[in-house]
Amino acid sequence: MNLAAALLIAAPVVPFLLALACAFKSVRRVAPLLLAPAAVPGLLAALLVPRDVFVLVAPAPFRISFFLDVPGAILLGGAALLWIAAGTYAATYLAKDPRRGGFCVWWLLTLAGSFGVFIVADVASFYLAFALVSLAAFGLSAHDDTAEARRAGIVYLALTLFGEALLIAAFVMLASGSPQANPLIRDAVAQWPVSPWRDAILLLLVVGFALKMGLVPLHVWMPLAHAVAPVPASAVLSGIVVKAGVIGLLRFLPLGVALPHWGLALSIAGIFTAYYGIALGLTQKHPKRVLAYSTVSQMGVVATVIGGALVQGDSAAAAIAAFYAANHILLKGALFLAVGIAAATAPGAVMPVLGLAGLLGLSLAGLPFTGGALAKLAIKGPMGEGAAGFLLALSAAGTTLLMAKFVVLLRDSAKGRAAFPLPSQRLMAPWIVLSVLALALPFTLYPLVTGERIASAFALVNVEKTAVPVLLGLALAFALHQRGPALPEVPAGDVLVLAERLGPLLARGLAGVGRLDDVLRRWGVAGALLAGLVVALAVAVRSAP
Amino acid sequence: MTALVSTPTLFGLTGAALVAIGLYGLIVHGDALRRILAFNILGGGIFLLFGVIARRGAGAGFGGDPVPQAMVITGIVVAFSATALAVALVRRLQALPPEPEDEAAPAAASTEHEEAA
Amino acid sequence: MTVLAAHASPLGLLLVLAVIVPLLGLAPLLLLKARPAERSALVFLAAGLAIVCALCFEVARSGAPLAYFLGGFKPPLGVGLRADGFSAFMLGVTAVVMVAAGLFAMTAPGADKPRMPLAFWMLLLGVWSALNLVYVADDLFALYVALELLTFAAVPLVCLDGRAQTIAAALQYLLFALFGSVLYLLGAALLYGTYGTLDILLLAQRAHGEPALLAALALMTAGMVAKAALFPFYLWLPAAHAGAPAAASAILSAVVVKAPIFLVVRFWYDIASPAQTAAVAPILAALGAGAVVLCGVFALRQARLKLLIAYSTAAQIGYLFLMFPLAAASAGAGVWGAIAWTGGALHLVSHALSKAAMFMAAGVIAETLGHDRIAQLSGIGRIVPISVFAFGLGGLSLMGLPPSGGFVAKVMLLTSAVQQGSWWIAVVILLGGLLAAGYVLRVLLPALQRPDGNLVPVPVARWREMVALALALGAVALGFVPLQPAAFLAIGRPASWDGAVP
Repeated sequence: MNLAAALLIAAPVVPFLLALACAFKSVRRVAPLLLAPAAVPGLLAALLVPRDVFVLVAPAPFRISFFLDVPGAILLGGAALLWIAAGTYAATYLAKDPRRGGFCVWWLLTLAGSFGVFIVADVASFYLAFALVSLAAFGLSAHDDTAEARRAGIVYLALTLFGEALLIAAFVMLASGSPQANPLIRDAVAQWPVSPWRDAILLLLVVGFALKMGLVPLHVWMPLAHAVAPVPASAVLSGIVVKAGVIGLLRFLPLGVALPHWGLALSIAGIFTAYYGIALGLTQKHPKRVLAYSTVSQMGVVATVIGGALVQGDSAAAAIAAFYAANHILLKGALFLAVGIAAATAPGAVMPVLGLAGLLGLSLAGLPFTGGALAKLAIKGPMGEGAAGFLLALSAAGTTLLMAKFVVLLRDSAKGRAAFPLPSQRLMAPWIVLSVLALALPFTLYPLVTGERIASAFALVNVEKTAVPVLLGLALAFALHQRGPALPEVPAGDVLVLAERLGPLLARGLAGVGRLDDVLRRWGVAGALLAGLVVALAVAVRSAP
Repeated sequence: MTALVSTPTLFGLTGAALVAIGLYGLIVHGDALRRILAFNILGGGIFLLFGVIARRGAGAGFGGDPVPQAMVITGIVVAFSATALAVALVRRLQALPPEPEDEAAPAAASTEHEEAA
Repeated sequence: MTVLAAHASPLGLLLVLAVIVPLLGLAPLLLLKARPAERSALVFLAAGLAIVCALCFEVARSGAPLAYFLGGFKPPLGVGLRADGFSAFMLGVTAVVMVAAGLFAMTAPGADKPRMPLAFWMLLLGVWSALNLVYVADDLFALYVALELLTFAAVPLVCLDGRAQTIAAALQYLLFALFGSVLYLLGAALLYGTYGTLDILLLAQRAHGEPALLAALALMTAGMVAKAALFPFYLWLPAAHAGAPAAASAILSAVVVKAPIFLVVRFWYDIASPAQTAAVAPILAALGAGAVVLCGVFALRQARLKLLIAYSTAAQIGYLFLMFPLAAASAGAGVWGAIAWTGGALHLVSHALSKAAMFMAAGVIAETLGHDRIAQLSGIGRIVPISVFAFGLGGLSLMGLPPSGGFVAKVMLLTSAVQQGSWWIAVVILLGGLLAAGYVLRVLLPALQRPDGNLVPVPVARWREMVALALALGAVALGFVPLQPAAFLAIGRPASWDGAVP
């Protein structure tokens, strides 16, 4: 086995084996120190494995196989960096938590699953990895075990399992056209144009993956779950776990086929989500919830890009969507870590923290000369100059506004003691390193993804393009800060609160069905039905030719 | 002299009637003892049917077929055992005082006690 | 009359041994004191497992069914025993669950009193012998005796503790099972009267859609459905399976209810013509769908852990009946080569393993807490983590999430449903998975949370938790079965005595 294959296999398998090893008490005790190293094979794989390498791990009929293409490698690398940084951060953050052993198990499992979705090549393994990352993430968000966390956990699990049901239906329909029991994803997708259930498959896929990405109105779990988790867990949940939905769309949608209607629908949902996330985020009073709504909004942007690719049948846009998503992984991870940093900083010493956090936020909005600007420029390619492109560009102004709000909330959340004005270096170092990487790394990837020279990003016209929305957003933020109306706080999960009103109705319905149980368990009823079954079977079998 | 109906037919009809009565009793009656009786009547009707089949000798082409008779004997033993088991349960149930509903369900805990690991 | 070209297979004696050895195991139990008797029963369990392993290996090796004629008399006069791939599969599943139940019920070395009464071990061996006879007998009357033996051995397992509640449950179980039995016997009488044989394979040759055949099939199927507790005839199941001690519940839920289903498969795929099977399959599937959906909803409402698991069994049985129209409709590939057929079988074994594990885990939980009220399970995961883990893994299979046998089975059934355009079956399968997730998580989520109050746990033996975990891991391991029809299940199918010629 060559190095590339070994690295690809090691990326998800090493963290998984470490999670299993946590069954031993001696391993569990040092588990927090394993969190960062566990992600290193993934990073090495992203860096060292040549593109488009295919590794067959188990031969037919299993056909467990790995494949690393450009979008997969970009996401894998970005995710690995965040996993390493957040893992280092978590080792210190959780040092006094008596339940850190269990937390580490969930962490490692989520890690294994998240690497898995980026690199597996066959349908069954993808579903396995997707289920693993989705379900293990529950353990991360439920770790604090508060009433709020329990509610968030139930909502998350319910929607996740619903999504899994939709996806398995889609996968089965997609794979049933294929001669193999477990086809490769690209072979199954290649069968899609001749499938008798093309529209049903697309609908199930889009809804299933949109749930993971949090497109409105399937976003309700995200502000709940991401806000209740411990800080490093929030970072990976909002940064990485939601990308399972992105890679799902990139892998399973037939991007090479022009599907104007589906593409348009996805774009509209994406743009709506982009603005909806901003609007709701502005009403929030907790910095983590603001960030969670920002993730909703950013995933809307990614969905719009993928929708645009569908409209034009442009499969090259996959790498650009992945690039944008990877940029979001690093920035959002660093922003979440900033929440923990600020909370442990004395109010007097918080300015440098706010400065860096603000820079990260502006990069997310596309501030020129930061990595985020390159991501914004990259998506201009597939989006073109149409209405969708314009609306997306304008949404950056909203993002600026939202990030300004975030920084203000961050300032208010600083409650460290004056004796220790800054948190320990072991918390600061991973955050600062991650922030620098988030701001700088896109510069190395931009030429690779777009095929343009890096200098073009510094051209005046492009600087102008990205600077205008940011300046607009800053001006708006300043104006609102001076004399804006006080917004009422929308409860996290917004429309969910309306849906929960249906809860008692559902309970009554279930109770009604439950009464049927009492009726059916009466001897006379069951006996009469049994006699009836004899008659029904006899009549049915008589009708046979 | 020819009978209005042949003997096997008469027995067959009787058996069918017993089956019907037993079935009715089994479905309608709530009392355990009555259900046990109904089961026996129903079983009796079936054994009668086996008797008719034996008389007709359908299987072997003889004047009478011994196989169904062997089955009936086995069947009677089985039905007797079933009745005995059911009656034993009914008697045990009647001898016990009814217990409060709440303490009822955790059955596992009460049989699986002791054993210090 | 057809001349039979059949011979007994050289290793056909294994079939007899599979039935007889558990029965032989009863003899020492009558003579020995409690502790040595328990050890003797375990030895016989091990011997039975070895025999079944040899039998399965032989069927797999030769690729042909094993056959044996009692006393050297061939049907229609004699009784034939026969094990094809499907029978061997059922024998194997049963053996695994039986041995696991024995290990779980075993007394800890050094404990002063035996854990389970002597009667448990007798009934355990009795149930096993009866089950094995159901799987290998080819004569409908021998099957009747086997089914009655099974009922008589299973019913007392329910009321081992002798409390009024469980005796009432046992009585109801017995009476409804007897109801099923008489329907079966009536059907058998009609068949013998018409065809002069009760041998299933001879019947298959002689029967051609006569009214007596149709009536008999209807009667016998209804009888088996009553014994299998298929919706809406599950009235006896929740109380009976929840009332038994954990080891007994595991057997009852995992394998005892599957025996009648095995026979329903034999009726409709061995005796009836494919057209007849296709005609009744929608009815059976409709009942199965009712089970999956409604019993799933009922399970959501239970206040007791063991009752919840019992209702879940009633729901999971439904999946096996969803298989009928899917396997029946794929006549092109042959029923036994159909993916739905393998999916159904895989569901059967995954459910057997996971459900046994869950009942055992629930037994440990009830033992350590002194109750099994779901509302008071908070924090139990900190006390018996292995049991909660086993419960969770078993639940994974019930939910149909990967990696688990339940997942692969679900994918196979879904594939079949999709390919045949049976959308309603596909929807039922998916909905059933969501309901299962609901009732499993109702237990699992509180178990993982922090305790509400002070839990005062009673210590439990570690190896008993490990037995449950091993079964659950088995259900997970089945998730690595390839997604294609299993050749083993098709050995000796379609069934005929000719197939027995080595």
